Amino acid sequence: MKSSFFMEIDSFQKKKYNQNAYGDTFVSERFHDEGRLVAVLSDGLSSGIKAGILSQMTACMFLKFISAGRNLQKASETIMNSLPVCRVRKISYATFSAIDCDETGFAKIVEEGNPQFLWIRNNEFLDIEPLKVITSKKFTTRKLNIYEIKLEPEDRLVFCSDGVTQAGLGSMKLKLGLRRQGLIEYLRKELALEPNISSRDLSRKIVDMAEDNECDKLAKDDISAAVLYLRKPRMLMVFTGPPYYADRDQEYAKVLSEYSGKKVVCGGTTANLVARELGVDIETDVLCRHNLPATSKMQGIDLVTEGVLTLTRVEEYLEYPERVKKDPAGMLVEILLNSDCIDFMVGAKLNQAHYDPDLPVELEIRKNIIKKIINLLEKKYIKKVSLRFM
Amino acid sequence: MDKVNIEICMGTTCFVMGASGFQEITNQIPHKYKDQVDICFKTCLGFCQNNEYNKSPYVVVNGEVISEATLEKIINCIESNKNG
Repeated sequence: MKSSFFMEIDSFQKKKYNQNAYGDTFVSERFHDEGRLVAVLSDGLSSGIKAGILSQMTACMFLKFISAGRNLQKASETIMNSLPVCRVRKISYATFSAIDCDETGFAKIVEEGNPQFLWIRNNEFLDIEPLKVITSKKFTTRKLNIYEIKLEPEDRLVFCSDGVTQAGLGSMKLKLGLRRQGLIEYLRKELALEPNISSRDLSRKIVDMAEDNECDKLAKDDISAAVLYLRKPRMLMVFTGPPYYADRDQEYAKVLSEYSGKKVVCGGTTANLVARELGVDIETDVLCRHNLPATSKMQGIDLVTEGVLTLTRVEEYLEYPERVKKDPAGMLVEILLNSDCIDFMVGAKLNQAHYDPDLPVELEIRKNIIKKIINLLEKKYIKKVSLRFM
Repeated sequence: MDKVNIEICMGTTCFVMGASGFQEITNQIPHKYKDQVDICFKTCLGFCQNNEYNKSPYVVVNGEVISEATLEKIINCIESNKNG
């Protein structure tokens, strides 16, 4: 898989302390064919269910517009002009920030009502001026800021809801809240400590810090942060199942050994094949005890697991992350989630023994389980995945 | 005296057919044999793909393939190897 740069995006949220629903919504979607990523952070008026519905509607409408081929400015103008005004507070029902970014680093950003995003390069905060400001014809208080910027490798963009910038408002320490400057100072410190921090970790840290600054450490508003990080992709190859034509074993073992990135082998027969072709030994861990076959060690390979049972469990863990355990499947999930581009090399050879009617029905067909895993990785975890059958 | 070499297949078929129960085998074999065996888990021994052998799970004791292996069969095999 060729990719110039990877756009890592992730977000973290906390809801207002007395609510049981999130009032902010973050959604993102990759358009693989065009190498584009679209993400929206919307903050619904007030908090709880009502705010949640408003922000979800706004964010999802955005994605629908963009998926239908509308450009970002047109979509945001339509949304800005159609969002209703709260009868009581006389302010907009939902605010939003949206980004449309491509793999070359060209990004279009629109903001309406949300705090201005931050653009970080080499731990410096770049000045950002909107290219255009469009005032709504229908609601004169609504202004759309439009930016067009060119990101460079290792650049970061940070978006947040006002729950972050207003954190601590009224407290002795932060009478005026954290504000943009407070967030900048925090990020400068964090990025100096951990320059390669992932978007997943950084967005969580921002939200935790904002909550920490609140009086009594209780979030007085929904707190959300989203981080986009343009960086070299972390590559992973998963080799599972022996090739249909045994005379091509060597060819595929070579593809694996020459791959630049992490390498995982799933399946006993596959592991034996790799070991034989690459002339390395397999050592199976005797001490680990799970309800899955133990992992093995092989020189040059980051993880060696059993095949179908482990992959079936991986699918379960990806679907229900709260069930993840420290077993071989959990180890594989960790590697999958820490990678950006994942290449699956799947052998099409069937193991007749798996069709023995005495075997449990849960024993899935490899191709099917891989298809399910790929679907989850792409849709739920927005990974870039390729699949090749051998 | 040479140790008895035990290879236990932990491939998919063997694992679901009973090899999962051998994960604790080091604690299950009689105490007197503990120092006399060398137990090794294998990714897949490949017997399930070969019609010549009967049925999984497979365990190899000093080169002898045991099909439909159970703890009892393994211990018997260790004993016969030890007693000559």
